[in-house]
Amino acid sequence: MTSLTEAAQNDAAASPAEPVVRAKHVWKLHKLGDEVVKALVDATLTVQPGEFACLMGPSGSGKSTLLNIIGGLDRPTKGTVFIDGRDTAALSESQFAALRHDTVGFIFQSYNLIPFLSAVENVELPLMFEPVDRAALRQRAMDLLELVGLAHRASHQPAKLSGGEQQRTAIARSLIGQPRLVLADEPTANLDQRTGAVVVRLLRDLCSSMGVTVVASTHDPLVAEEASRVLRMQDGRIVSTTGQPHPPEA
Amino acid sequence: MITRGLSYGLLSARRRARDLILPVITTATGAFLLVQVLSLAGSVRRQAASLGNGAEVYRAVLLISVVVLLVGVVEVAVCATRTISQRTREIGVLGAAGVRRAPVVAALLVEPVLAALAGAVTGSVIAVVGGVAASAAGLSSSAPDAAGAAAGVILAIAVSLIASLLTSALPTWRAASVPPIRSLSSGG
Repeated sequence: MTSLTEAAQNDAAASPAEPVVRAKHVWKLHKLGDEVVKALVDATLTVQPGEFACLMGPSGSGKSTLLNIIGGLDRPTKGTVFIDGRDTAALSESQFAALRHDTVGFIFQSYNLIPFLSAVENVELPLMFEPVDRAALRQRAMDLLELVGLAHRASHQPAKLSGGEQQRTAIARSLIGQPRLVLADEPTANLDQRTGAVVVRLLRDLCSSMGVTVVASTHDPLVAEEASRVLRMQDGRIVSTTGQPHPPEA
Repeated sequence: MITRGLSYGLLSARRRARDLILPVITTATGAFLLVQVLSLAGSVRRQAASLGNGAEVYRAVLLISVVVLLVGVVEVAVCATRTISQRTREIGVLGAAGVRRAPVVAALLVEPVLAALAGAVTGSVIAVVGGVAASAAGLSSSAPDAAGAAAGVILAIAVSLIASLLTSALPTWRAASVPPIRSLSSGG
């Protein structure tokens, strides 16, 4: 098996010019009774391979909505979203699911680990339903747990892991399918500052050493400090962008 | 993919064995009653016939059997609903990871089907062994009817399996069809 870093870098190098995410004039409107709530207003962004982009803003600013639309967990009311060069509007739900499976990894605020599976089984989960070689899958999951510093906790169930360990397990799980894009929704929200810093550094390292593109939503300044680009959101709009739209140096 | 789903379902059923105890017990109770009723039906009918109202008593016995079966079906349905509500987030995680619906449904069906099978077999075995033991010990005035007991066992297992599939398949399919974002935001 190719090393994780090597495989990811080869993958990232395959189409260097194509942005991983291209969202144009994306709107999301919710109807609440007679009122129309603008969850997302004319959001436009492009994320290049290897970038660590951070959507920053207070609760209700639209960052999670944008993240969910990028990941295909939600559909925009209008606007276009291209993931890895594919127009997601043209995809059926099952085609989008296949795109997610092959291209996107998710990290959730509340980890969402399966309580009856061990850490290594949780990492394997997205590929457990695939006709893949079990031994190779287990080895890859162990490599990823090693990467996040949890190989010694592989057989522990989530209830026996701390919050930081659970989130690192979730990060390993997001990488099992060798995704080009990892979407992290408030990855440090349930963690103390020190543990949050470990998780953020891990996300940054994914970009610099493995060429994975990370888009994270957060209101944690620590995440913004480590990101290569920060997009500030307010009332559903992207109000400012700081940083470079290029991957940071390794 | 379906095979992998079934294999994941077996793994989760093994790990969640404690959650299966209640549905197994309730299904076993239904199966026990059904086998008991059918194994004693013959002798009850004969005794009732000697009193001159065999047809009415037999209809009453059949009615009791049907009620017992319906209770069993409801128990299996409740088990399926409980399982799905407990595993909603898991379904959301699998959906977010792009796992297809069919293997997810196959995985989720393993648990109610296994619970129904285990419950039906357990209840049937207890009913048959208990009936024979009670008769041998002289605690029962009439010996259980072997043909009735066999019919009860077959019926209990068949009805439990079919009911578990019928009552689980649709809610499971529906749950797996819910957009992952909704499953993930649920409390289950």
